[in-house]
Amino acid sequence: MHDTQQLNHACVQELIDRQLPEGGWPFTSDTSQSAVEPTALALLALPSNSIRERDTAIRFLLHMQNANGSWPAFSGDDGGGSGLTGLALYALNRCCAQGTVTNRAVHWLIESRGWESHWLWKWKFRTSDRHVRFDPDKFGWPWMPETVSWVVPTAYSLLALKHARGISQQDLVHLRIRRGVEMLYDRICPEGGWNAGNGVVYGSPLAPHADATALALLSLLSEPPNDFITASLDWLERRAETCFAPWSLAWTILALDAFGRPTELLTDRLSSVVDPAVVNDCATLAIASLALGCAHGPNALGVDP
Amino acid sequence: MKVDRRTFLAGSLGLAAGVAATTLLEKPKHRVNRKQPRSRVAILRAESYSQTLGQVLLSGLDLFHLNVRGKTVLLKPNLVDYIPGNHINTHPLLVSAAVECFRRLGAKSVVVGEGPGHQRDTELVLFESGFTGELRQLKVPFVDLNRDELVIAPLLATYTGMKRLWLPRTVLEADFVVSMPKVKTHHWSGVTLSMKNMFGVVPGAKYGWPKNILHWKGIQESILDVCATVPVHFVIADAIVAMEGNGPLNGNTRPLNRIVLADDPVAADATCARLMGLEPARITHIRIGAQFLGSVSIERIDQVAEAVCAPAHPFEVVPEFQHLRVTGSAQRDP
Repeated sequence: MHDTQQLNHACVQELIDRQLPEGGWPFTSDTSQSAVEPTALALLALPSNSIRERDTAIRFLLHMQNANGSWPAFSGDDGGGSGLTGLALYALNRCCAQGTVTNRAVHWLIESRGWESHWLWKWKFRTSDRHVRFDPDKFGWPWMPETVSWVVPTAYSLLALKHARGISQQDLVHLRIRRGVEMLYDRICPEGGWNAGNGVVYGSPLAPHADATALALLSLLSEPPNDFITASLDWLERRAETCFAPWSLAWTILALDAFGRPTELLTDRLSSVVDPAVVNDCATLAIASLALGCAHGPNALGVDP
Repeated sequence: MKVDRRTFLAGSLGLAAGVAATTLLEKPKHRVNRKQPRSRVAILRAESYSQTLGQVLLSGLDLFHLNVRGKTVLLKPNLVDYIPGNHINTHPLLVSAAVECFRRLGAKSVVVGEGPGHQRDTELVLFESGFTGELRQLKVPFVDLNRDELVIAPLLATYTGMKRLWLPRTVLEADFVVSMPKVKTHHWSGVTLSMKNMFGVVPGAKYGWPKNILHWKGIQESILDVCATVPVHFVIADAIVAMEGNGPLNGNTRPLNRIVLADDPVAADATCARLMGLEPARITHIRIGAQFLGSVSIERIDQVAEAVCAPAHPFEVVPEFQHLRVTGSAQRDP
């Protein structure tokens, strides 16, 4: 068995080495364009004794916040707001940065919604455009404004709203959380698990994706146990048997661990496929570190709010 | 049938809206013209995915006298997702054959790049589709276009109404872009061929998974804008095993035993459509693309290898695209 703790230290060190001077991380190590997703995941992966690196990452994320409270997807992106706003807020809140930043972001998340919630599109999806099976009354968050809800931004937003503390507009937050949860249950694949957004198109069931399924499950951690969650966890365990890709494997470990299912064999496999010097993608390196870390400590994404 | 005043009014409004939309779409909105006086297409027979594909491809490429010496070549296959048993993606053996061919033709570098539309774990798609081993063996770099460094680019056509798109630096800096689609029907766009394949250069890191903004702005319109802005210099289409019906993911396997090469994406797609038994001029992005991106008319296309033969039975498509199917075609597969 690989020494997961030692490997995790190597992942963290590699992340520290790749941190850009401005405090963020790019997706791939050969570029210098900071992006919110690798930065937020890296911030979550950094141990508390990496004080300087965490501080610069937090400052960078705070600096990146748009005037409307949202986060862009990467440095230089326009100010409309992206589906990664929930992840940025969650990462900052886990590092105890609260107050105005959180309130502005929560306000933006309350206002942001998939376009299927608009009465005109709702009417269209109910009458003429019925090839995708879903209920437009159950909406979540889009990847970018003026598009419909998708699983990943919805799950990131749910994580953020469920963990946000000391915020105003509690009733609206609660309402959006309920809608988002309903949306995830509505879009589940027939065999359990989640694809990018929908479970059935043109009468054909879509295959779930491990990463989307794991993230959706993490966002549903505080929900009462039900058949949707059980079926998705079962599917994720079956899928993991043949999964060797670090990104999907790491997300799978985080979700199964959060729900108390065994992950030792998967962690061992992740250890065998992750070489920190070779994994070019910083987001993958960060999520692998988080997955390896939960074998010896807390699960940064599997915290019950 | 009795038509009351309300039905007549609703019908008239619907018809007017349809005519207006079609008229607006057909109106030229491009600032570039890549149409050549004549285009060349080669239909090559290939019975299966095997190690002999390299020879077939090289002999086909010789027909085009391509000058890629000293150029950076980007091969853009179609990798959407991995579903065991479904022929969704461009086959890795065809891509590796193309890598070797362009190296032999003197390319300075050959890179494979793709940004899958649904699946966020590109490495998983590469691994499970058999790409990882092939690419490693050839020591060819792969760029995940969903997560590449992004550069803002003004659109050279504005059918969507968008003025600019963030695009991957790898794509914008390539000297020679080769679109390598899997020949499939598509439930939203009718077909997915070399032009639709270019959706894969639009980065998920900005536009999400899927790149839903392109759907909302209009799939046909988005195809035109992307292809106007990112020139496709050459096409190698995988029609050895194609897909019909509910593509791009859940259709049925349909062997065509062909590879289609072309120096013009519109001519390539028109030819593929004909091989599928579909009428290319009825496919919106191919018809409008013929105004400025290439040729759809048989009279302007030199078939430098096999002749185009429509199949005895056109490809199955979803009900909305039944009108694409050619019935009573004169040319039949021998």
